[in-house]
Amino acid sequence: MARLFSPMANTIARASLVAAVALPVGAIVMGSVVSRSPANTNVGVAFDQPVPFSHAHHSIELGIDCRYCHTSVTKSSSAGIPSTETCMSCHSQIWTDSPLLEPVRQSWAEGKPIRFASTGEVGWNRVAKVPEFVYFNHSLHIARGIQCNECHGNIQEQHMTAKGKPFFMKWCLDCHRKPEKALYVDEQQPELTPQEKVFAFYRKIQEGAKLSARELALKKGRDYQPTAEELRKGQELVQKMDIKVKTLADCYICHR
Amino acid sequence: MEETKTQTGLDIEEIRRRLRGERGQRYWRSLEEVAETPEFQRFVEDEFPNRSSLLDLDRRSFLKVMGASLALAGLSGCRFLPKEKIVPYVKAPEEVVPGKPAYYATSMAFAGSSIGLIAKAVMGRPIKLEGNESHPWSLGASDVFSQAAILTLYDPDRGTTVKNRGFVATWEEFLAEARKVLPEAKGVRLVVGGPSSPTLERQLAEFQRAYPGTKIVRHEPVSRSHALEGARIALGREALPVYDFSKARVVLAVDADFLASMPGSVRYARDFAATRRVDEKNQAMSRLYCVEPAPTPTGILADHRLPVAQADLEGFLQHVAYLVGAASQPGAADLATEAFWNALAKDLRAAGPQAAVVVGDACTPVAHALAIAIQAKLGAAGSTVRYVAAPEARSDASLSELAGELESGAADVVLFLQTNPVYASGVGERLAQAVGRAKLSACFDLYETETAASCSWYLPAPHFLEDWSDARALDGTVSIVQPLVEPLHDTMSAHALLPALMNRPSEALAEVRRTWAVDDKTWRTWLNEGVASAPKAPEVPVPATVQTPAGRSRRSEGFEVAIRPDPSVWDGSFANNGWLQELPKPFTKLTWDNAVHLSFSAAERLKVTNGDVVRVTLGERSVEGPAWILPGLAKDTVLLHLGYGRRAGGRVAEGAGFDVYPLTGEASPWGGTGAKVEKTGKRAELASAQMHFSMEGRDIVRIGTMEEYRRNPSLKPEHAHGEPPRDLTLYDDGEKRREQEGVQQWGMAIDLNLCMGCNACVAACQAENNIPVVGKDQVRRGREMHWIRIDHYYGPRAGDGSGDNPTHVVQPINCMQCENAPCEPVCPVAATVHSHEGLNQMVYNRCVGTRYCSNNCPYKVRRFNYLNYQFAQRNFDRKEDIPLLKLLNNPDVTVRGRGVMEKCTYCVQRINAARIEAKKQGRPIRDGEVATACQQACPSQAILFGDVSDPNSRVSQIKRNQRNYSLLGELNTRPRTTYLARVTNPNPEIEA
Repeated sequence: MARLFSPMANTIARASLVAAVALPVGAIVMGSVVSRSPANTNVGVAFDQPVPFSHAHHSIELGIDCRYCHTSVTKSSSAGIPSTETCMSCHSQIWTDSPLLEPVRQSWAEGKPIRFASTGEVGWNRVAKVPEFVYFNHSLHIARGIQCNECHGNIQEQHMTAKGKPFFMKWCLDCHRKPEKALYVDEQQPELTPQEKVFAFYRKIQEGAKLSARELALKKGRDYQPTAEELRKGQELVQKMDIKVKTLADCYICHR
Repeated sequence: MEETKTQTGLDIEEIRRRLRGERGQRYWRSLEEVAETPEFQRFVEDEFPNRSSLLDLDRRSFLKVMGASLALAGLSGCRFLPKEKIVPYVKAPEEVVPGKPAYYATSMAFAGSSIGLIAKAVMGRPIKLEGNESHPWSLGASDVFSQAAILTLYDPDRGTTVKNRGFVATWEEFLAEARKVLPEAKGVRLVVGGPSSPTLERQLAEFQRAYPGTKIVRHEPVSRSHALEGARIALGREALPVYDFSKARVVLAVDADFLASMPGSVRYARDFAATRRVDEKNQAMSRLYCVEPAPTPTGILADHRLPVAQADLEGFLQHVAYLVGAASQPGAADLATEAFWNALAKDLRAAGPQAAVVVGDACTPVAHALAIAIQAKLGAAGSTVRYVAAPEARSDASLSELAGELESGAADVVLFLQTNPVYASGVGERLAQAVGRAKLSACFDLYETETAASCSWYLPAPHFLEDWSDARALDGTVSIVQPLVEPLHDTMSAHALLPALMNRPSEALAEVRRTWAVDDKTWRTWLNEGVASAPKAPEVPVPATVQTPAGRSRRSEGFEVAIRPDPSVWDGSFANNGWLQELPKPFTKLTWDNAVHLSFSAAERLKVTNGDVVRVTLGERSVEGPAWILPGLAKDTVLLHLGYGRRAGGRVAEGAGFDVYPLTGEASPWGGTGAKVEKTGKRAELASAQMHFSMEGRDIVRIGTMEEYRRNPSLKPEHAHGEPPRDLTLYDDGEKRREQEGVQQWGMAIDLNLCMGCNACVAACQAENNIPVVGKDQVRRGREMHWIRIDHYYGPRAGDGSGDNPTHVVQPINCMQCENAPCEPVCPVAATVHSHEGLNQMVYNRCVGTRYCSNNCPYKVRRFNYLNYQFAQRNFDRKEDIPLLKLLNNPDVTVRGRGVMEKCTYCVQRINAARIEAKKQGRPIRDGEVATACQQACPSQAILFGDVSDPNSRVSQIKRNQRNYSLLGELNTRPRTTYLARVTNPNPEIEA
């Protein structure tokens, strides 16, 4: 009887068995890796913008407060995006003929929102965004003393703005279940209210003041594991602010 | 109109027999329930009938479908993040904070009165209207019409541009032609509605001076002319009654729906409710007698309700006047029993200045005069009622005179200002012909109406939220109508149009300010308050004795037609509003249609059943419409509602229901006697929500008389189980208690003693929570999406064995937020879970649409998005409609897509907003800081929401009332919404 299978067949059969297990597993691993990678989350990916606005230049080199442009960050759910008028409050005096600022001047002259000089698309490309079914409130987080960098990464070092954290639900819940992880008092200036502390952080960076390990991690946009002592102090803050931790992970705190 | 399988005939004799056989308290929701028709059974057995069943699939297709679903199940969550743009302002307006709503006071003119409103604007777009607390005719509450007005603003069917004979034109072209024609016109006629805007009245007078020979023609389909005429008879001048029900102990309402549809009803409901709140300590309660041909929401709350034909009401009042000594002649004494008359007269006389007699606008002038005489005799004038001078509203000609003048050529220019007489009058057809002869005819209105179709020009009018104006309320209180947005379309204000026609162009704001001529500071105060400090209408003194002609009954053979404005779309001007069209009407719960309402006996005699098309003939004219049996009608009364059968005016309005206006005459728009009703043999489909979400006659509504209440303050029926004890559980209750410790716990109490089923809460909820309109076909399948519904129950009335005059109870039902919620354990994906504040959370983004939760809900308050209703709103399915409708959405509430379950959340977005502010200020949420949308809208303040863990909160105090009970408490669901049993206050001397 002629051979039905060539000597190769055993190898193929074994390879198929391995592939049958490895391929689906690989696909799942690949899927989860890709979905967590910047290719999907856009973390660290700088978007093209009408004007190459640099947070590093404005907030640290010049020392402009976050609230100068993001006016509603302490008042409302939305931080607010600066109007052309805000830009022009300085740029009508300085860099008045910079070609990079042409879209700003054009917007001011025409009375129309800023747009890309190249494509004519209106508005800035949104960098940090939570899904529509998530209701995030800036003002409350600031009032509790949650640093901007906690979510926006090393924003004060960025020349082109990029997303700092992936905004996964698990990542939100990390803090909402253990708020003591993110709450701290600046030991150098303990008299500041939590909200004042948020913005004083950038003055410290600007002045080159000595930073604690936590502040250094925040500055670089790195994850930070607080020490046991820091967690204890965080707990005290939770008590002091009367934060009802168990309610913080209720669905409708973010979804309604 | 075709025969359908779903509509089954009703055997009236059988229903009668069953109702007679009932003993004790039995409450029923619809005749179908009593008759146990197959259709009713389907709705009982299955909350959403007409679904296809899995069993219909064969094994192969099942595997195919399931295989594909399983394979793709996970993928639905996969997508790359969409790119989005942020568009900044060029110059940020100072008062706009992104993410924070802004509130402005404005006001809405309606039916000859006005109601003060607070409009909520988000980034410049108004999204919600609420009552204005400082306005005396709102006091913070509102009604269905003001709640739904916001939808009209964004209605894609509104007129967007000037049209000349159907072709797009411009305002300049119209004004050029008008300026050419007007100076040499033989007769100019301006057709306007009832008086409301002082600025418009001033401009009309100026227009008459600028073009002498101009005549003003008034046309208000639902007019108050009978009340004005009655005051002229009794007091010698036109005046309107203004009531103060907070002082009233005995109220006699004669065909007067003063709690839900009469001008001023929002305030009246609040005042009246104040006299009906009873608890262990305060057991004084007012008594309400209702005498009416057709049941009204006011009749629901009546302690004694007597169905009396419209033609008999004058005779009825004459007899009341006779009994209290205000008239020398007796009236129609045979309308009620001896005991009733004696008790009523005794009550009225005893109450004296604390009595009120309210007469509806459909009653004859003599009836109104008699009411004045009765109240003068009782000393009520000046106490519970005062009469104020009616606003000047001269009408130089009637509609038929106008038609005659147009036909003869005496008038050759006609301008219709926000009125639609070609549809909304009995002379529409003739008028449409006559208008064609005019040299210049124009219709200025929100929609391209029937009148616009017969005019050569159509001029788009702005919505009141786009326009400056002013309005007077019932007692003459002036409020400024303040715009919130720039006009969305190419519209022009009426206040700018009239000056433009007089060759002196002006702006609406300038014109309104010219009327009032106050300094800037006062003006800003007026705008801020929403109420102007301008003088109100002067009072008209009522002499101690008032002479009136004797009232008499005008009964005749045959049926009597009673024509009333529709509870949802009024005279038809709201017909293109989907929210109002889909609002289940009181009693019938009909949506999207009007009907020929017949009494039990009439239906029996005619051998018709719900859905049979009948022809109603009054005089020489007749209309055809589907019949609907309405228990509570006077025996031979046929109730018809205006506002349907629109032939133009938008895609929602057109084709719904049938037109009743042909039966109205200029002299009497309210119907008449000697009508004929015949069966046509055709059938029509009607969409009634009465049978939907039924709870099958358990201990649902608790009701009792004052006497019973004194004996048994909980009004719990003997057989009722009541709530099981809290420790009756296999599980440790301690954990739950620990979880809730130190956290505010939300709850609600609804007082059935105050609810008359006016639907304001339903409309408010729809506006607040982005609830879509589903359309007639979907309503027929039981798929309406309202998060709060008003269940209506008929009950037995002592002395009425026929079922012709049942009692009524209404009960608003929203999600009960059960502490032991049956929906929660059955959700396979934990999309509905409990929060620490005691709310039953619904997480839309987790929901996969198994519908197990709604299967397991004993209250049937969960709603499922069978289709993508949000962006396929009935008739608004064109791509270009969607951007406009999107502007309406509340950004704080997720817009739900197809396949997602939804339900009442206790307006969690409002709780969250308050909680965030409270947290920032480091304090708990204060009592009263959060009001749910339904609570805020409720005119009688029947709904109360708050923290039940705080023993001092208002809701906790109310829940301590012994009348408080849990709906289906025996199921141990521990609902957070509880009800206060209803107490009626009948006169013990009346047997019936």
